[in-house]
Amino acid sequence: MMRSDQFAAEVAPFRAQRAVPPPVSNAVPDSLYWSTQMAAVSAQRDRASFMRIYDHFSPRLQRYLRNLGVPESMADELVQEALLTLWRKAALFDPARASLATWLYRVARNLYIDHVRKEPHWLPIQEGLDRLDHLESARLDSQPESSFDQDLLRQAIDRLPPTQAKLVRMCYLESKSHSEISGELAMPLGSVKSSLRRAFAKLQGSMRSPR
Amino acid sequence: MKPHHHLDDATLLSYSAGALPSALAVVASAHLERCAQCREGLDAADRIGGVLMQQQRVDAPTDDARAAMLALLDAEPVLEHPAQPADIVEQDDPDRLPGALHPWFGNSLRALRWKRVAPGVQRIRASGIGGGTLMLLRIAPGSKLPLHSHGGNELTMILDGAYDDMLGHFGPGDVADLDGEINHQPVTSPGVPCICVAATDAPLVFSGWFARTLQPLFGF
Repeated sequence: MMRSDQFAAEVAPFRAQRAVPPPVSNAVPDSLYWSTQMAAVSAQRDRASFMRIYDHFSPRLQRYLRNLGVPESMADELVQEALLTLWRKAALFDPARASLATWLYRVARNLYIDHVRKEPHWLPIQEGLDRLDHLESARLDSQPESSFDQDLLRQAIDRLPPTQAKLVRMCYLESKSHSEISGELAMPLGSVKSSLRRAFAKLQGSMRSPR
Repeated sequence: MKPHHHLDDATLLSYSAGALPSALAVVASAHLERCAQCREGLDAADRIGGVLMQQQRVDAPTDDARAAMLALLDAEPVLEHPAQPADIVEQDDPDRLPGALHPWFGNSLRALRWKRVAPGVQRIRASGIGGGTLMLLRIAPGSKLPLHSHGGNELTMILDGAYDDMLGHFGPGDVADLDGEINHQPVTSPGVPCICVAATDAPLVFSGWFARTLQPLFGF
């Protein structure tokens, strides 16, 4: 399968994309699946693998940015920019440090802060912090992301009590500050923060669970 | 030296979500640069963001969108101007400010040009920050600040010197991540001045503890 795809990609790159069946909509492929696709993008510049990543993630990144209030045409551009970043920097992707979902989330979030919130110092700072982590993970045996099960985290998110779930979503998916959440829900600032703290503790706990 | 006082988990979540007001994000970045423990917490927060992003129900991309993406790949490689990473390094030069502060205050503690705002208190305000207020403060050693509480959120990171309050001893690298429920009375340690960077999320109202300390002195 892999070989014939690759061969086809070399001969007729465009037709090869078209031959890829769309991913089954309900099943969420696991991290291993995505790191295999990334390896093909990185090592062989494999467009078929790239388009599998594109088909799955681009509409999700688009939805994410639209929810943050980014106008449609700009969201489209930022999604393309995020995927181009993936194409260019595929070699830097390290599945031991982050899943593809986490990696793309960071890329899209950073593009949002840079282009929409217009904070010119954010990107260089994130690159600097990332470089620090690189040095560190080379030296320390820190807990790599591959050791956590995305399903457990997904289930833990689904199990959050309604208020905590709402606050977490307002924070991540609407990019609301604590004060904005507090104002909108008429909830004291301290309660907003303590609810988020409790939610984070639960979700973090799920990532540490033994398999 | 490893910090002992860390970012609040709720602050880490907001930072990861891109939802922290700019001034608070600068101080949070400065602490993250010095704190591997908080960087690990941020990784966890980013994973939550990744799962939430992926969980959304969506339609498949259109043929036009796919064709546009492939056309962009055809146009590659383009000349790239990668962002120069900020000057964020592992080193313990006490004169070097954290990289996240360089755009606002330069890189050297010694080179700072302080403005005296009250007996024993000097300040430098960052200008042009979009969300919130960001400032450096230099408080004389052995100063006792008035008892006060907080209005909004305030994030303070110690850069040099130290202070003590009911929450403990705060030295270089430590952050005090406080909201309206905390009532405290910091006392700076003897010896050297306490230098810190403080951010509040209120753009006009000076609600934080240092700021509020200065408020009556300056008629803000």
